[in-house]
Amino acid sequence: MSNNLILEVRDIKVHFGGVKAVDGATMSVERGSVTSVIGPNGAGKTTLFNLISGAIASDSGTVTFNGEEIQNLHPHQIAHRGMIRTFQGAKVIKRLSVVENVMLGGQKNPGERLSGFFNPRARSRYESESRERAMSLLKQVGIDRFAEDYAGILSGGQRKLLDLARSLMAQPTMLLLDEPFAGVNPTLVEKLLEVLNSLRQAHQLSFLLVEHDLETVMNISDRVVVMAEGKVIADGLPNSIYDNELVIDAYLGTRKKKS
Amino acid sequence: MIAFIQPGFWVFVLAMAGIYGIFSLGLQVQYGVGGILNFGHVGTMALSSYTMAILVISYGVNFWIASLCGVAVAALGGAFLGLTTLRLSGDYFSIVSIAFSEIVRYVIFNSDGFTGGSQGSLNIPAKVEGDYPTYTNTWEPFIGWVKDRLAVIFGDNADRDMAMALIVWITLGILLIIVGRIERMPWARVLRATREDDDVPAALGKNVFQFRLQAVILGSVIGGIAGIYWALQFSLLSPDDFLTIVTFYGWMILILSGAPKVKGLPIAAIFFGFLYGGTRFFTFWPFSILDSSQRAYIRIMIIGLVLIFLMLKRPQGLFGKREEMVLE
Repeated sequence: MSNNLILEVRDIKVHFGGVKAVDGATMSVERGSVTSVIGPNGAGKTTLFNLISGAIASDSGTVTFNGEEIQNLHPHQIAHRGMIRTFQGAKVIKRLSVVENVMLGGQKNPGERLSGFFNPRARSRYESESRERAMSLLKQVGIDRFAEDYAGILSGGQRKLLDLARSLMAQPTMLLLDEPFAGVNPTLVEKLLEVLNSLRQAHQLSFLLVEHDLETVMNISDRVVVMAEGKVIADGLPNSIYDNELVIDAYLGTRKKKS
Repeated sequence: MIAFIQPGFWVFVLAMAGIYGIFSLGLQVQYGVGGILNFGHVGTMALSSYTMAILVISYGVNFWIASLCGVAVAALGGAFLGLTTLRLSGDYFSIVSIAFSEIVRYVIFNSDGFTGGSQGSLNIPAKVEGDYPTYTNTWEPFIGWVKDRLAVIFGDNADRDMAMALIVWITLGILLIIVGRIERMPWARVLRATREDDDVPAALGKNVFQFRLQAVILGSVIGGIAGIYWALQFSLLSPDDFLTIVTFYGWMILILSGAPKVKGLPIAAIFFGFLYGGTRFFTFWPFSILDSSQRAYIRIMIIGLVLIFLMLKRPQGLFGKREEMVLE
């Protein structure tokens, strides 16, 4: 297809025992856009995410990222290609300091190879640059005052900010955010949205978001994909999704139609 | 009781403590940094010591080269263990690792014509028939030379054990510096992350399996070095030297010192060595009621009690950080 698509998922399927968690999902993300996947609980959103990022293997179907099929790659190989994901509920490494958590995101660190032991100069140069960049990212998301504390002391919302900063450290071309706004207070949502928007403008980043309901992603999404029972049931501009009967049925009235 | 007050005995204990310290450092790399619970570590010691002994006795290989080969085989053993089982999640790896060391021991035990079998290294077939099967012909003159240098300072007190203790502790010191540096590298940071979670480092482009494998191999190399010293300290090898309990002695030292950092390890090793060696002399009342074979078990029980007490009072080990333990 056209070069304008950074990610293309075609007819991907996976089952767990008898449950068809994702049953032939097809969707795509345009370069530099924000695409959101929404759907009720158990719709297969996170599973789709895990399939794209390589965390679980698919039964069939293809995932094309930047023109390359990646459905058979390991998660770390996919990350090397510039696609970085966050986790539902934000996973932090509790016993590393906040800044070290972020530094974990750095790519091609010579000190991460054992052979780097024999090259202390390259190692420490990279390390100090890396620390500097990590600090500025922490400042950007507003949690730099915790830099030297264990990440385990952070609150849920702060962990999400840390997860985001850490992902950005990897200098991705595409970010996969799994429920970045769930359980986050409105002020922090604003903060997150602000960070995402500035990133988008500054770096031409592409985003794929997973969220529960449409309201949260309405304003930032260029496109919304709706999933239910492992299938994509609607795909289009946020406004068109709003009036889609199939979508309303899928949510069984959990979202009131505004008109 | 006499030996209790003889300095010579304690120098022997010090040398043993150093060897256990090196051995335990191998576990520290794996567990303290990578969270890998290896219960088969003694297998690497068995591999290196027997490889060295067989190469020297049966093939007449130079002792130093044979020792390097021994350490290399220990590394290969670690690589084999890692490649076959590290993909299992934590608990399963630990179980399989015990099997690894037991397999090594049973193979040694049952390969009479090659390893000497149950009779140990005395039964390893010599290159020239009729030669006394020993692997210390190069080592003894060397250690004698060290002893003579020590005699300048310590006079008549200088003996083989003192020379051995010195060499072992210099080795441990060098290894502590190297490992301490490695553990301040970003390499160790990634491993520390894998200790808590596989998904995060993988999502950030780290090949978690490769990092773990490297940690196991590095630990096995260190365990292999301990094995060479073990062989030299006793001048004889037997499959019974490599029982699983030895791995747990290494674990005791690691738990005493506090796993995440190396700095407490030498002190914990001495503490363990003296506890282990010292309890040998519990021949006074009330222990005198028991016969010597019963006392042997009392000794292990007392070590256990001390460990339990320490864990209650300092669960983070003598030198560990308590904050790291309470994070949710």
